[in-house]
Amino acid sequence: MAQEAHGALHDLLAVRGVSRRDFLKYCGSVAAAIGLSETMAPQVAAALEGAPKLLPALWINGGSCTGCTESIAQVDSPDVATIVLDYLSFEYFETIMAAAGTWAEENITKRVAEGGYIVIYEGSVMTGQDGNTLFVGGGPNNEGAKKGIDILKEVASNAVAVIAVGSCAVDGGWVMAHPNPAKATGVAAFLQKEGITTPVVSMPTCPVNPEWVVAMVVQLLLVADRDPAKFLELTQWVKYTYHDGVTDQDVTLTLPKGIYGQSIHDNCPRRGHFENGEFVTELGSKEEAMGYCLYKVGCKGPQTYTQCPVTRWNRSASWCVNSGAPCIGCGGLNWVDNNAPFLKRLSDIQFDGFLGMGNTQPGHIGAAVGGAVAVGLVAHGLGMKAAGRIGDGPPMEEMKAYDRKRMAKKGGDK
Amino acid sequence: MARTVVDPVTRIEGHLRVEVEVTNGKVSDAWVSGTLWRGMELVLQDRNPEDAFWVSQRICGVCPISHSHASAQSTESALGITIPNNARIIRNLIEAAQFLHSHILWFYTLAALDYVNPVNALSANIADTYALAQAAGTRIADFGAVATRLKGFVENGQLSIFTGHEGWFGVGAEKHPGYVLPPELDLIATAHYLEALELQAVAAEIIAVMSGKFPHHMTSIPGGTAFVPTEQKLDDILFRFTRVKEFIDTALIPDTLAIAPYILGAASFGGGCGNFLSWGVFEAEDFDPYKRYLPRGFIQTSKGLTAEKVEATDVNEYVTHSWYSSPSGLNPAEGKTEPAWEPYSTDGKYSWGKAARCKDLPAEVGPLSRMLVGYVNGVKPVKDIVDFALGKLSAAAGATLEPTVLVSLLGRVAARNLEAAVVAGWAIEWVNELIAAIKGGDSSYFVTERAEAGKGVGLWEAPRGSVGHWMTVENGRIANYQVVAPTTWDISPRDEKGVPGPMEQALIGAPVVDATRPLEVMQVAHSFDP
Amino acid sequence: MSTHAYYREAHPLIFVITHWINLVCMVMLAFSGFYIHYPFFDGFMGVARGMHFVAMYVVIINLTFRIIAAFFVKSANKMGTREVDLDIKNWLPQEENKHQFWETVKYYLFLRKEGVISGKYGSLQKISYLATIPLTYLQAYTGFCIYAPAMDLGFFKGGLELVGGPMNMRIIHYFIMWVFIVFTMVHAYLANIYNFAPSKIIFLWKETEAKGH
Repeated sequence: MAQEAHGALHDLLAVRGVSRRDFLKYCGSVAAAIGLSETMAPQVAAALEGAPKLLPALWINGGSCTGCTESIAQVDSPDVATIVLDYLSFEYFETIMAAAGTWAEENITKRVAEGGYIVIYEGSVMTGQDGNTLFVGGGPNNEGAKKGIDILKEVASNAVAVIAVGSCAVDGGWVMAHPNPAKATGVAAFLQKEGITTPVVSMPTCPVNPEWVVAMVVQLLLVADRDPAKFLELTQWVKYTYHDGVTDQDVTLTLPKGIYGQSIHDNCPRRGHFENGEFVTELGSKEEAMGYCLYKVGCKGPQTYTQCPVTRWNRSASWCVNSGAPCIGCGGLNWVDNNAPFLKRLSDIQFDGFLGMGNTQPGHIGAAVGGAVAVGLVAHGLGMKAAGRIGDGPPMEEMKAYDRKRMAKKGGDK
Repeated sequence: MARTVVDPVTRIEGHLRVEVEVTNGKVSDAWVSGTLWRGMELVLQDRNPEDAFWVSQRICGVCPISHSHASAQSTESALGITIPNNARIIRNLIEAAQFLHSHILWFYTLAALDYVNPVNALSANIADTYALAQAAGTRIADFGAVATRLKGFVENGQLSIFTGHEGWFGVGAEKHPGYVLPPELDLIATAHYLEALELQAVAAEIIAVMSGKFPHHMTSIPGGTAFVPTEQKLDDILFRFTRVKEFIDTALIPDTLAIAPYILGAASFGGGCGNFLSWGVFEAEDFDPYKRYLPRGFIQTSKGLTAEKVEATDVNEYVTHSWYSSPSGLNPAEGKTEPAWEPYSTDGKYSWGKAARCKDLPAEVGPLSRMLVGYVNGVKPVKDIVDFALGKLSAAAGATLEPTVLVSLLGRVAARNLEAAVVAGWAIEWVNELIAAIKGGDSSYFVTERAEAGKGVGLWEAPRGSVGHWMTVENGRIANYQVVAPTTWDISPRDEKGVPGPMEQALIGAPVVDATRPLEVMQVAHSFDP
Repeated sequence: MSTHAYYREAHPLIFVITHWINLVCMVMLAFSGFYIHYPFFDGFMGVARGMHFVAMYVVIINLTFRIIAAFFVKSANKMGTREVDLDIKNWLPQEENKHQFWETVKYYLFLRKEGVISGKYGSLQKISYLATIPLTYLQAYTGFCIYAPAMDLGFFKGGLELVGGPMNMRIIHYFIMWVFIVFTMVHAYLANIYNFAPSKIIFLWKETEAKGH
């Protein structure tokens, strides 16, 4: 069997005109993305080709738009056919699997019982309306339907690892943005609340970048030999702790450092223009054509930590800033609330109706307070003038008011 | 009478459930449910109107471009903006790339497995396969290598995405009788399935070049576009469009015409409600929706094959059978979204989707609607290719087929692929139009001036059908936002009067040969690309 | 009516210098900060960032020095006198400040006519000056939190997680700057509302004799 899988990939690459050299080059970039030296490329290749048996995987769609699935279909090399046919055995993958209905649902039940699989989870965890904002798999009149949250519990409980792909799976994504109408949360938060200890790797951006998912899977196969403990120990991670409002607890997310360790700003090919103070002030202007920095039109690159400028998107065809659009920070936590309005430098403050205010820009608040104080001081100054205090100041008291009162009181006592 | 359920309906975007009642081998009643609610319309409240462009497209990861373009148009109509001509062409190109991406992906990756049996392909004679491919005028691939790869894959025993379906293909169980193609055609389609994975990615690269990435793109910001093309980037786009067009002309269209004769039965069911809505897509120079490349129109086939005018005010949404407590029957301009779950009941509430109605009628949206509206409006490339396809089908059927035959499962499948060919042709024209405009000295891409308040609507088309975004802006912030997505139309549940939605009507009357394996139900559901 | 004398003993030369340093650096910080927030002209980002960092370090060192110096340098701690004592006495509540907080508020709200007895600094003045000290350090801290090379260090990371990420920290940094701006406006106003003698002594080290005695 191993030889079959090995042979199949070789044949496939040959048919597609992919040379061994190109393949190793790709493996080198995978290695770099997961924080290994590029000299590890041969080992990465061995992991891709020599896996004794395909790693079973369940791709679960929660409250998703299917964008992360779409994104996986845009993976570079190995192409998506290779991943799906020769690399992972996707026994559940709603968007591309042949089976449907109960025939599909049975795949989950069987695989969970057997174990030895990974879960790739796309979309938010939907807890709203008592978990009924997502349900799947009912019979006539919906008997036996499972809530999305119950499916997540089921598949996560016996998995080797869960990879939460895309910002929705990481912390709820846009779905959990104010006012979070469907009470969406992230995989890590939900599993922590349920006491399920399967390791969760979080991979934000909206959608997830497919090359990074491949890198993580390779990491699990190659470095960790499918052992979750080794996987956690041998990968470099960056951890973020945040407070999840839906489950009301502090949650620590685990992100691969090779991918989420540096800011977009620091790796941006337009960084030179930033340092030189060369900016796009108006979208679609001639400065856009010159590739100037998008900082002034709200680029969130400085506070977004992903490898987008390095990996790029759609098989390296381009990436957001390269096409002329400011980064909207989709790789950050609570990314919509933390980055909207996207064309402004700072995000809105949400007053949620307090004092009749809704979403407000910090600059407006600062200027309003500063302006009010200035007006207040002028008014006060006029008052001081009217009170005749300007020039030599007021007549000074001979004794503190407090002392006067006390003396009067003492006098009264006598 | 027996109830059969397909939940989840796989190979679609999102979460869909279909429940049917089968009487004497035919679907006698059907209930279609959207089983996910996320609340986009509420998340957008009180945000900057421009932000809706980025956020609202995340409703759908397969058609984000169209949602974003409808959203941008709603912002622009609310704030009194007319985008520059260059921005119009660039948006058309981005939209076209998504149409091509989506249609290729839909036919080969999502829908094909309802007709094509890759296991059956194993018994194909390789020499005969080449002969058949040549006769059908379809694309030659290394069919031998594909067969070898397929064989290794099936023998490996780990069936990956085919797990659970192998019985339907005839592995360890009796093959489903709905799979009727000869093994050689199955092999050709399987080879193209693999190649289509490459080509859908090439189409998506066009979007990446012009708009950063796909899915979820970046540059069609309300006011115009942030994409200012360079010579290099225009080359990148043209080269890829040419490659995709070549695949459509040499694989997608011939494959469709080669498969159609085997499934002519699909021309006699799956037609549905017979009302077809198109908001129109691909803006022309004068921004008139009735003169878009694929124009706006509403067809009631009960009144004959003619298109009437249709406006945003003709829409209302009922929630009689949907999990909302907000008032029923509102026009989206005044629409409200208040979720209220209660137990599923086909007699009561059974879907998260609202029941969208046009002129108080259920309306099918999608390529079939657009091709019909285009056809009756005499749009030349549409008329040419539809007539060409009808000619081929007539020859296969041995009878002269009228355009009304398109109102069927077969018609809906064919219309999508024919549309891909039309759009691919236009896309290349538009790249040249853009080059000419730039050479002519037009360097305007974005309009910054805008009002602080207003009411707007963006009516547009996604590959899968009509999409509308309604927006009210007050004090520079969104005061109300409503979306009527393509799927809201097609999978809509019953309305106030109990009239079933388009997919429900299309399912009713469909044959179900094997009630435990309702392949035909999936074929009809998939034909809408829900 | 009368004003007291402004003698050099009120602000020894070293504090005139630290005050100057403060003023120059704060202006540079606010200017470069606004520029970094939104570059309102081209070609200055590298300089603005450099200015922001240098001025920040200078302000922090200057402030720390000023605090230490308060324990060693002597200055007047009453109005209009050449008598000196340790400067730190000006920082702490003095006999003259006792029971005067509300009276000072009432005075500025025109609820009483006579000026209130105080030390060199009144109660409100003392509290607001003292508040700028932690606020300055806090501003440096929030600045480091949004500075990439520092933000991964546990000391700063904890703060980032507490406020919910770099964007929120940036907004806090931005608001604290507005607090400084408001402080400076009120400070300049109140110091100079009667006459410019206080400015003459703190900026030019020029004495003003008492009037009306």
